[in-house]
Amino acid sequence: MSPGPARRLVPSYLATGGVGAPEHSRFEELTALQATGRSALPHHTPAHQRLLNLVSDGGLTVMEIAGYLRLPVGVVKMLAAQLVSDGHLRAAAPLPDALAPAINAGRPDKALLEEVMHGLLAL
Amino acid sequence: MGSSPSSAPVYLPDSNQERVKVLVAGPFGIGKTTMIRTLSEIPSLHTEEVMTDAAAHVDELAVPDKKTTTVAIDFGRLTIAQGRIVLYLFGTPGQRRFKPLWSDYARGALGALVIVDTRRLADSFEVIDLIEESGLDYAVAVNQFPESPEYDEETLRLKLDVEDHTPLVICDARDWDSSLNALRALSAHLVSRAGGSL
Repeated sequence: MSPGPARRLVPSYLATGGVGAPEHSRFEELTALQATGRSALPHHTPAHQRLLNLVSDGGLTVMEIAGYLRLPVGVVKMLAAQLVSDGHLRAAAPLPDALAPAINAGRPDKALLEEVMHGLLAL
Repeated sequence: MGSSPSSAPVYLPDSNQERVKVLVAGPFGIGKTTMIRTLSEIPSLHTEEVMTDAAAHVDELAVPDKKTTTVAIDFGRLTIAQGRIVLYLFGTPGQRRFKPLWSDYARGALGALVIVDTRRLADSFEVIDLIEESGLDYAVAVNQFPESPEYDEETLRLKLDVEDHTPLVICDARDWDSSLNALRALSAHLVSRAGGSL
């Protein structure tokens, strides 16, 4: 018995011009995004363009972009996935690396925690 | 124009940086947003997350025929270690009914700062339970209001049922030094829990 086609999770009204199903699950709240400088494409919606404009001069996290654009985080992840796949955005994963569930499951790194502590003490 | 950003964005440092988060947890009105505003280097932002009663983490978009709740998450940012680390403070509601959302935000967090108010200690029991269930290490910050009853530390620990090693600090969420002190107490605790040197 063969499994049927996977259910489409992205609703049609947000589908992104038929350019493939974005893998927005690999984006975290703290994934940083910055525009690469390419101009928007015809299939980019006004929401895509607002996102590109926001990060044209510097990087921001998915969470911050959601705050500035007043969009739910899930929507920003989808828009970002499209723009990364089109080459319009660069994405940097936060630590722990979202792509490494084994690391994600463990305790935070000791050296990092020490650096946070010293950083806070130095303020 | 309604669609324009609420303010000019404050970008991340140019250098490569590690972005980490700490939860600032507690019931509504306890001072989470105040503390985040006090500590944040950017005007504090919020997102409004739509959560369905069932399986909210499976699909973040609302399914129309399910009962949905909108939860506002306040957050702020603090750059430390000469720009190498950007610490995010996520204000996280403490109610169990927000657990699906809560689990999402707890994932990858370094730890949590639980804010309590001595006038309504019982309101924080639920959030402390949630944090303990999640396995996150935490510190308790007692947000001191002028009219709050003052308890000694031992009584507070007993009432809140927190372990001896869990830091408990008195703070004023409106005050930078005081709020930073609470965050430092949490961070020292996280280091010691990870077996690092203080």
